[in-house]
Amino acid sequence: MSTQLLSANHAAALSATLAARANRKGKGFVSGVYPITPSTECMEYLCNQKIEKGRVVRVESEHSAMGVCIGGSAAGARSFTATSSNGLAYMVENCIAAANLRLPIVMSVANRTLGPPWNIWADQGDALLLRDAGLIQFFCASNQEVFDTVLSAFRLAEEARVMMPVMVSMEGFILSHNVAPVEVPPQALVDDFLPLTDIPHRLESVPHTLGQMEQPHQTECHRFQHHTAMLGAPGVYDEIRRDFEILFGRALAGAIVPYRAEDADTLIVSMGTMGITAEAVVDALREAGARVGSLRVRLFRPLPVDAIAAVFAGKKRIAVLDRNIGLGLGGVLWSDIRALADPGAVVQNYLTGLGGGDVRPEHIAKIVSDITARQASGAPMLMEAV
Amino acid sequence: MDHAEISGLDLPLEVRVHGRGGQGGVTCAKLIAGLFGQLGFHVQTFGDYGSERAGAPVQAYARVDRAPIRNANKVYRPGHLLVLDEALLGPHILDGASPGALLLLNTPQPLAHFGGRFAPYRFAVLDATAIAREHGIGSASVVIINTTILGAYARILGLPLTVLEKAYAHLGLSSDLPAAEAAFATVAMEDPRQTAPIAPAHRAPPPPVKPTLEHHADIPVTLKTGNWSNQLPAYVEPPAPCNHACPAGNDVVGFVQALNKGNSEDAAALLFETQPLPSVCGRVCPAPCMNACNRAAFDGAVNIRSLERLVGDSSTYAIPREDILHPQHIAVVGGGPAGLSAAYQLARAGHAVTIYEAGAELGGVLASGIPAFRLPPDVLQRDLSRILALGIKTRLSTPIGKADLATLAKDHDGVVIAVGFGVSKTLGIAGESAGNVEQGLAFLARVKERPETLSGTVVVVGGGNTAIDCARTALRCGAGTVKLVYRRAREDMPAIAEEIAEAEREGVALLPYRQPIAIHERSAQADVVLAEMEAGPADASGRRSPVATARTATLTANRILLALGQANDHDLLPTGWSVRAGRAYHGEEALAVYFAGDCAGGEGTVTHAIGSGRKAAQAILTRTHALALAKDEALPVAPGQIRFDAFAVAPPHADRLIHPAAFAGNFAETNLGLETAAEASRCFSCGHCTLCDTCLLSCPEGVIAQRGGRYRVDPDYCKGCGMCVAECPRAGIEMQEKRL
Repeated sequence: MSTQLLSANHAAALSATLAARANRKGKGFVSGVYPITPSTECMEYLCNQKIEKGRVVRVESEHSAMGVCIGGSAAGARSFTATSSNGLAYMVENCIAAANLRLPIVMSVANRTLGPPWNIWADQGDALLLRDAGLIQFFCASNQEVFDTVLSAFRLAEEARVMMPVMVSMEGFILSHNVAPVEVPPQALVDDFLPLTDIPHRLESVPHTLGQMEQPHQTECHRFQHHTAMLGAPGVYDEIRRDFEILFGRALAGAIVPYRAEDADTLIVSMGTMGITAEAVVDALREAGARVGSLRVRLFRPLPVDAIAAVFAGKKRIAVLDRNIGLGLGGVLWSDIRALADPGAVVQNYLTGLGGGDVRPEHIAKIVSDITARQASGAPMLMEAV
Repeated sequence: MDHAEISGLDLPLEVRVHGRGGQGGVTCAKLIAGLFGQLGFHVQTFGDYGSERAGAPVQAYARVDRAPIRNANKVYRPGHLLVLDEALLGPHILDGASPGALLLLNTPQPLAHFGGRFAPYRFAVLDATAIAREHGIGSASVVIINTTILGAYARILGLPLTVLEKAYAHLGLSSDLPAAEAAFATVAMEDPRQTAPIAPAHRAPPPPVKPTLEHHADIPVTLKTGNWSNQLPAYVEPPAPCNHACPAGNDVVGFVQALNKGNSEDAAALLFETQPLPSVCGRVCPAPCMNACNRAAFDGAVNIRSLERLVGDSSTYAIPREDILHPQHIAVVGGGPAGLSAAYQLARAGHAVTIYEAGAELGGVLASGIPAFRLPPDVLQRDLSRILALGIKTRLSTPIGKADLATLAKDHDGVVIAVGFGVSKTLGIAGESAGNVEQGLAFLARVKERPETLSGTVVVVGGGNTAIDCARTALRCGAGTVKLVYRRAREDMPAIAEEIAEAEREGVALLPYRQPIAIHERSAQADVVLAEMEAGPADASGRRSPVATARTATLTANRILLALGQANDHDLLPTGWSVRAGRAYHGEEALAVYFAGDCAGGEGTVTHAIGSGRKAAQAILTRTHALALAKDEALPVAPGQIRFDAFAVAPPHADRLIHPAAFAGNFAETNLGLETAAEASRCFSCGHCTLCDTCLLSCPEGVIAQRGGRYRVDPDYCKGCGMCVAECPRAGIEMQEKRL
């Protein structure tokens, strides 16, 4: 195990590189890439790696980048790509194809505001475009989490019971360009962690087609299979966490990360880096006697409903922070989890850090004092963070 | 290393680096993180990225702690501040920094220069730019100083240089270590000298959390993106190479573009500002404008000379004459191009001008020295009558001697002397006085008056336009063979290239690298002994001067014509007069007597003479000393600045040339010029906006608007991307620095 100073973009790329090399005795590695701020560093790093039995193809658009991944994966190779914002939006059609074709492609997304008007800074709205598309979605909060999650994503995606794309999100710049120490396992350990890619429905020497026309009932069956496989993914992920810890000697962050939540009556719920800041705020407020805790949702699809509900049990106040907005309703995380709280609990949505606003501990402390004063839930509110 | 040894390290530490885009501020923060990372601390670093471009103010951050860092925010309360560019030292740079914080500044100034300005801080200065430049880090224009300044940072913290090595190696920057060592050795620092409260402006806290959580419509609805830029485009109109090259000072690009727009009146008006002889110059000018034309590097220079001829020949433009209250009386001595140009400018300005010409007609060498097949007499007459129509009086066959000059100066408000060159140069060899040796100019003048008949072989000596004219005239006079002897290479011949080509086509044999060394007269004929020449060492002008070899050959000629140029050897100054910088003085008294054209050291072309005459006219009206008026200092647009891909390939419209079957007695004009002005559409309009809208259409922000025949860039919203500059086909725009 070595420690390297890496940006989260580079951590994702290095993780994908190690996974790619781990498949050298199998069907190799294929990646299609196209640059877009702020994920460009990731594909640049990947392009500079020597990968035995691997090919990184620089194409003319994100749509084609995912096309290359689909082709490689359909042929049985391990596959990875990285994108961001409107690049992801352009890739969406093929992301849906990858999901419906049940191809275990891993992608890293540096979350950036969708334009126009153009804004290059962090907002989770891009990844959430694909909330319901049949991809597994993680949201990370640190460089180490990005490295570990990308590595584990290959294992999860390629697991026979799951077999679908996994998207690993990091907030643009705030995380993608943040440089911090990352523990990097040696190749041999990665080889042990990741079995050779085995995609049972890959295109082999016997010609067949993938994704041809189907009848309503076939679609019903496919959707149900896909849905069931997704629902099983958290269980599979927990198995992977056990193997990860045994092999690498440290923990892989869970699907959700509660922090001093057990005896809390007020809970701050979030996805991404705001959750780490929230943990620091929790420590500070605890010192002042407040019973505050934090819950970070890392696995957003499939949403670990039962696990979240278990943390919510007994909580009087739940502040849900969203660095995104489902226009016409409210925060996307809030809208998915608000029903999991105890009846009568105050569940208040705070939309903050939209478009890359700098959410500081002061903002989160202000949110805690706001919800503490509340007697009932209100409409989602926007909180400007500058 | 024990952490306690690190000087002034108060954990958790927050570092803020201020630099400009391209200076390496983000890498600087990364290096700081690497430095502490290898000492076992938890670190974090990131840049505050925006849409700014190179040169814009940029911030980068680093955090250091013993515990894992749980904060993903920008740094608002820096314990260490590194400022990579002194120009960024505004009132906000110290925002959030508490007394005692470290401030490391890149500056050539010593600590004392800053007085007590930073007294509350641990203040250190270093000339990192000089050190980095000395070590060749970055480019000449953008010196990258991040690795250098870190050497100073290590010294201030009391860290040994060895800790830098690993951090630099990790980012592949090991070659910058010597610069860091130099910085380590030279940084100057002082401890805080006061702890009294600092002015509030220096301690601005992080932006406040909004007092209400309800969202108000208080977002700025417009974002002045112009604040992000450090450069703005400017429509600068740099000189076009043709204008820059024209000795007459013609607005070449102006008149060609006017033709291109179909405004022949405008074209004539522009041309007649500086050019009284467009029909003449449109035929005989060596056209330095065409040599300089940027289109030559693409698909052939624009045929400017013939466009000028077209204007001169077809214009009906009435040249306006100013009506002034107190006209001056000016005498112009010499009716050649320089004198005509001076008289023209003075008459246009409303003054009373009299030209004194020694010959029987106006025009000087234009009338006598340029053959009719190149410059028909009626063409010269057209230009002359336009000039005389301004009310200029002429005294023909009136040579001016020394005494006359003194009288003229006394009787007039000013005198322009433009008498041209003096006598023709000779070879200075034995036998030169032979009966069949003659000066070419005398020959041309005589033939122009009355064609004569030659036979046998004619040898012309020289390489200029007079030599070519002599050779072609000799053919038309019936010479059987015409040989042109020139002492340098063919490409060194000063004559107009097209004229040389025409001469060759007509049958003139060129003998380069030959020089007559003796002439032996044999009754009607003469033997010319020619020495072979070799290119010798370069002279002051850079041309290699020819050196005679021992190899000789003999030609027998019926006529030998000398066209070796003329000397400026006039002796016209009355006693007590002298000339300084083109102006006459009587003792120390400056006289309103100016020299113009070849007699003022001209270069022997019509166009130079015209420019010189105009300047003399200006000098007389302003009584300035120098004839040479300030030339545009800006560099002309170079071919590399033109976006060739914006233009379609279109070869030049060639002149219509007549090739007579028989030459004897045929003095008809051989070049009929262009039929239409279509050639004007080939002009790139270098540096001169044509309102083509390329900038407007390529502006990603849509902040360029056309108003009143000009473009205006909205500085509130221009992000300084430079797209308009990159896309402008004709280099009419440049980026200019904004003041911070």
